[in-house]
Amino acid sequence: MFSRRFDMGVKVGGAIIGAVAAVVFLIVFFGFRNDVADVGYRPEQPVPFSHKLHAGEMQIHCQYCHAGAEVSAHSPVPTSQTCMNCHMAVTPKDEVQEAKIKVLKDAYEANRPIEWVRIHKVPDYAHFNHSRHIRAQIDCQSCHGPIEQMGVVSQYKPLTMGWCLDCHRSPEKFIVGARPISGVFTGKLHDMKNLYDSAYIFTPIPAQVGESLPITEPQFGSYETAIPPVTVAGIPHPKKAGIGPENCSACHY
Amino acid sequence: MNARNIILILIGLAAAGFVALVLSGKIMWFSTEPPVEINPNMDLQFKAIPQSGNTFFSDRKSLREPVEGTVPRGAEPYTLGVGDIDIAETANVDPNLPDTEFVLARGQNRFNTFCSPCHYYDGNSEKSQMTKRRWENIPSLMADQAKGYSNARIFHIISAGQGLMPSYADKMNATDRWAVVRYLRHMQGVTGTASAAPTTQAQ
Ligand code: HEC
Ligand code: HEC
Ligand code: HEC
Ligand code: HEC
Ligand code: HEC
Ligand code: HEC
Repeated sequence: MFSRRFDMGVKVGGAIIGAVAAVVFLIVFFGFRNDVADVGYRPEQPVPFSHKLHAGEMQIHCQYCHAGAEVSAHSPVPTSQTCMNCHMAVTPKDEVQEAKIKVLKDAYEANRPIEWVRIHKVPDYAHFNHSRHIRAQIDCQSCHGPIEQMGVVSQYKPLTMGWCLDCHRSPEKFIVGARPISGVFTGKLHDMKNLYDSAYIFTPIPAQVGESLPITEPQFGSYETAIPPVTVAGIPHPKKAGIGPENCSACHY
Repeated sequence: MNARNIILILIGLAAAGFVALVLSGKIMWFSTEPPVEINPNMDLQFKAIPQSGNTFFSDRKSLREPVEGTVPRGAEPYTLGVGDIDIAETANVDPNLPDTEFVLARGQNRFNTFCSPCHYYDGNSEKSQMTKRRWENIPSLMADQAKGYSNARIFHIISAGQGLMPSYADKMNATDRWAVVRYLRHMQGVTGTASAAPTTQAQ
C-alpha cells in the first residue's frame, strides 16, 4: 500500500523512539531510585581525612570520634577539638602531611567548625535512631560497610525504607555482630588477644538475633526518642532495651 | 538465526544483566555530586537537625549553646581544672561500683575506645599507635607512678586531662569514667586507695 521507503521509515523511526523511551525509562526508574542513586556518593571533604589511616591502620575505635552514637539518635561527626586531642602533639612527618592538616589547625585556631559534607541522610520525615541499634549490638559495618578500609567515605548501603525493613524482618541475614573496632558494648569482658583484630566478631549472630527477637512481635506505640534507661549496676544495658516493631509510627512520627 | 540477531540478543542480555547487577548492588559507581532528586517530597524540611547549618540563627548553627550561667538538664559537668589535684582528692568520691563482670566489661569497652590509641589495650603505652607515630613519652599506666595514684586522682586525670593528655569528660559520663578506673585497677592488679586526701585516710 505504502511505498517501501515509507515502511522502512516507520520501522526505523519506531525503533528509535522505542529505544529512546526504553533508555529514558531505565534512567528515570533506576537511575533516580534512592537505592541506586545514593549508593556510592563520595563527596570531597574540606580536610583529606582518611578512615583507612585512622580507623584501619591506627585502630582508633569508631566511637572515639563518633562518641554519642550509643546514647543518642544522632551519631555526631567529631568536633575539631577531638582531632586536636592528638594533632596537638603528633608532629606531621613531612610537608605533604603538614599541608593536609593545615586546614584543620587553621579552623581550630579560628574556633570555626569544619564544614564536613554530609553523606548519609534519611529524609526528614523518617526518624532513625543510632543508640537503639548500637545497643542491640549491631556493628557499624552492617549499615555503613567497611568504613575502616575507605580512604574517602562513600555511602555503601541504600538507606531506603525497604532496606530498613528487610533487616527488621530477618535480622540474621543483615546484622554484623559487634567488632572490637566499633567500640560497641556487649556487656561481656573480652579476651585481650582478640582486641587487636578488627575482623573478630564479639557477638555471634544467632545469639544476637535471639536477643533482638521481639522485633518480629511489633509493639505498637512503645517507641520514644529517648531510650528508657534500663540499667544494670548503674550502666545502660543494651540487651534490655525495648522492642522494635515494623510499625509505621516507629519511623514516621 | 543469523549473526545479526545473535549480536542483538547478546546486547540485550548484556543490558539486562547490567541493570540486574546495578540493582543488586554488585556494580557501584562513585560520584562526588549529590544524588539528584526529581521529586524531593518532604525530604528536606525547615527544622533544626543536629550538626547542620540553619539559616534561622545568625551564627548558622542548629545546635544552640546553653544560656550563660545555666546547665542543660541531666548534664553533669566536671568543674575542676587540670591543676586542682588537691581539691580533686576530696571532691571525687569513689561511688564504689560493684565488682561485677558487667562493670569491668563496661570499663574495658570504654578504655579500649578512648584510651587505647595512646595507652594501648594493656596500658603499656610504648606499644601504642601514637608512640609508634612520633608521639614519645606517653607514660605507661602499668608503671609504679600510675599504680600509686588514688582512684580519685585517676578519675581527675580522665575528667580534666593532664599535660598533653586531653579531657574525656565530654565523651564519657561520670559512671563510665569510674568504670574505666575500676578496669584500670583490675589490669594493674592493685586495689588502689579511694583517695589520698588526709581526711579519708584518717577514717
Ligand atoms: C579519628 C576520628 C574518626 C574515627 C576513628 C572514625 N571516624 Fe568516621 N568520620 C570522621 C570524620 C571527621 C568524618 C567526616 C568526614 C568524612 O566524611 O570523611 C567521618 C565520617 C563518617 C561517616 C560518614 C558521615 C556522613 O556524613 O554521612 C561514617 C558513616 C563514619 N564516619 C563511620 C565511621 C566508622 C564506622 C568508624 C569506625 C570504623 C569511624 N567512622 C571511625 C572521624 C572519624
Ligand atoms: C588518636 C589520635 C588521632 C586523632 C583523634 C586524629 N588523628 Fe589524624 N593523625 C594521627 C596520626 C598519629 C597521624 C600521622 C599518621 C602517620 O604519619 O603515620 C595522623 C594523620 C592525619 C592526617 C594526614 C594523613 C596523611 O595522609 O598523611 C590528616 C589529614 C588527619 N590526621 C586529620 C585528622 C582529622 C580531621 C581528625 C579529626 C576528625 C584527626 N586526624 C584525628 C592521629 C590522630
Ligand atoms: C542500623 C543501621 C546503622 C548502624 C548500625 C549504624 N549507623 Fe550510622 N547511620 C545510619 C543511618 C540510616 C544514617 C543516616 C541518619 C540520618 O539521616 O538521620 C547514619 C548516619 C551516620 C553518620 C552521619 C551523621 C551526620 O549527621 O552526618 C555517622 C557519622 C554515622 N552514622 C556513624 C556510625 C557509627 C560510628 C556507627 C557504629 C558505632 C554507626 N553509624 C552505626 C545507619 C546506621
Ligand atoms: C542491620 C539491621 C538493621 C537495619 C539495616 C535497620 N535496623 Fe532498625 N532495628 C534493628 C534491630 C535488631 C532493632 C531492635 C533493637 C532492639 O532490640 O532494641 C531495630 C530497632 C529499630 C527501631 C526501634 C523500634 C521500636 O519500636 O522501638 C527503629 C525506630 C528502627 N530500628 C529504625 C530503623 C530505620 C529507620 C532504619 C533504616 C534507615 C533501620 N532501623 C535499619 C536492626 C536494623
Ligand atoms: C524501619 C523504619 C520504617 C518503617 C517501620 C516504615 N517506614 Fe516508611 N520510610 C522509612 C524510610 C527510612 C524512608 C525513606 C526512604 C528513602 O529515602 O527513599 C521511608 C519512606 C516512606 C514513604 C515515602 C516514599 C517515597 O519515596 O516518597 C512513605 C509513603 C512511607 N515511608 C510510608 C510508610 C508506611 C505506610 C509504613 C507502615 C507500613 C512505613 N512507611 C513504615 C522508614 C520506615
Ligand atoms: C591522646 C592520647 C591520650 C589518650 C587518648 C589518653 N591519654 Fe592518658 N596520657 C596521655 C599523655 C600524653 C599523658 C602524660 C601527661 C603528662 O603528664 O604530661 C597521659 C597520662 C595519663 C595518666 C597519668 C600517668 C602518670 O604516670 O602520670 C593516666 C592515669 C592516664 N593518662 C590515663 C588515661 C586514661 C584512663 C585514658 C582513657 C580515658 C587516657 N589516659 C587516654 C595521653 C593520652
